[in-house]
Amino acid sequence: MARGVYEQSLHAFTGSRDGSPVAAFSAPLPPQRLVGTASGAPALANSRDVSTPRLRLDRVTVDFGKRRHPAVDDVSLSIAAGEFVALLGPSGCGKSTLLNVFAGFRAPTRGHVYLDEQPHLGPSARCGVVFQRHSLFPWMTVVENVAFGPRRLGLRDPLGIARELLDLVGLGDVSEAWPSSLSGGMQQRVGIARALATKPPVLLMDEPFGALDAQTRSLMQEELLSIWDRLRPTVVFVTHDIEEAIFLADRVVVMEALPGRIAREIQIPFPRPRSHDIFDQQAFIERRREIADIIRVEARKSFR
Amino acid sequence: MSARRSLLDSIGATGTAIFLGAVGIAIFLSIWTIASHSLDSAVLLPPPLTVLQTYGGLIADGSLAQDVRASIVRVFGGFLIASSTAVPLALLLAYSRILRGLVMPLIALIRPIPPIAWIPLAILWMGLGDPPSYFITAIAAFFPIFLNAFAGGASLQDEHVNAARSLGATPFALLKTVMLPSALPMIVTGLRIGLGQAWMAVVTAELVAAQSGLGYMIQISRLNLETARVLVGMTVIGLLGAVMIGLIGVFERRVIVPWHYPR
Repeated sequence: MARGVYEQSLHAFTGSRDGSPVAAFSAPLPPQRLVGTASGAPALANSRDVSTPRLRLDRVTVDFGKRRHPAVDDVSLSIAAGEFVALLGPSGCGKSTLLNVFAGFRAPTRGHVYLDEQPHLGPSARCGVVFQRHSLFPWMTVVENVAFGPRRLGLRDPLGIARELLDLVGLGDVSEAWPSSLSGGMQQRVGIARALATKPPVLLMDEPFGALDAQTRSLMQEELLSIWDRLRPTVVFVTHDIEEAIFLADRVVVMEALPGRIAREIQIPFPRPRSHDIFDQQAFIERRREIADIIRVEARKSFR
Repeated sequence: MSARRSLLDSIGATGTAIFLGAVGIAIFLSIWTIASHSLDSAVLLPPPLTVLQTYGGLIADGSLAQDVRASIVRVFGGFLIASSTAVPLALLLAYSRILRGLVMPLIALIRPIPPIAWIPLAILWMGLGDPPSYFITAIAAFFPIFLNAFAGGASLQDEHVNAARSLGATPFALLKTVMLPSALPMIVTGLRIGLGQAWMAVVTAELVAAQSGLGYMIQISRLNLETARVLVGMTVIGLLGAVMIGLIGVFERRVIVPWHYPR
């Protein structure tokens, strides 16, 4: 049995580019134009860091114009290819707004977004998005939901790609079901499979496990890490759960509210693959306390 | 108590529905029979049995089939005109803020005008016969279809739009693969209501503006004091309308929005 369509292209992740135009999971866009100046953002080095960041925010401000403070205020952030970054903060700190900027759903009021150092102007299949909930198309079967992206891009064998990804998230047996008949955890796994189906170099996740019960959430976190370990996309993961952020990420970006800014960036040293055992380690507990102290102050600002 | 429950249990949910419906109709027919006997006037209210005999006569001489065909053609003609204009227009307006601003006030002004008020214009413009009947049924069916399709298009979820865009959907693909299917359940509701409205309107139109069809037959029979024929016309309209709307329901569950009825 030959390797499947999807599995073949996964090798683009690990560097062996097979030349097919859609397979380029991690291949940077060719002309590396540097637009704008290397601004005040402290370009945090990452162990897997390459010369240019995969995603970069350059002094981004998002002002809805309705409140006294902008939702996001002058934020600069660089994310390396293959890095797993968690955006953590209390509700109202603008972390989801920031994710929408990354995704291209919302244009910043001021500042610029770069994907592979090219201006990122709108939603594209190069940034897969996993939403909090209810984002599967209820009028399509599970496999058709996952095949949606490949179909839009005109990829060969969209259903084959979809089936492989459903196998990857352990849902090969429900591919013909309607999304409404699946549990919340299963729906989110389909959502992840769908976001991965266009082979995006970047995966943006907006509190994807926020609506799940604690046990399911813990299983989903392990599942996500195992998928990430195999495909190594660049991940931006929005959450308000401190432990989730530390468990998953290489780097936790803690945000402050009113206005939304980056309060602190914390490197997470735990080796991979990780298991939930690290919750008991002293280093984990210290980082959790450090982050909790920041968050407590910030949460109080918007809690009125 | 327990005996009755076990009887209904033994025939299942569908059986129960059919059984209760049949009982309801039987009770209604009994009351009708009693009422017509106590009135004792074939003009005011002939009994069901007389109506049934009249049915036999009208079926035998083929005139009922002719009238039914004329009315059905008009209903479908008007309904097709209405749905083929109302659905695209509604989705377009739900999609475009500018078009919505331009057209919605106009719709709000035209909508309260009852279909029957269009009849004089329709006759002036198109004369007597089929065209004004198409026009009136189309007007009647248009608004429920349009309003439901618009509500369906407007209730599109941001998550679905964003998901589709982040998966590479172009604006046209967005309209076709996300907006239309997302609005379909509401569109089907609109079609069902629209078809009912079309039936009501076709009779109105035929009473005044046509020389065939069930409405025309009812009108002529009234002038001839043949109340049994009037009742035949009325009950045929009721039966046909119910069957057609039921068919839309089946079509809806099997073909159009099966995800709403997972089996």
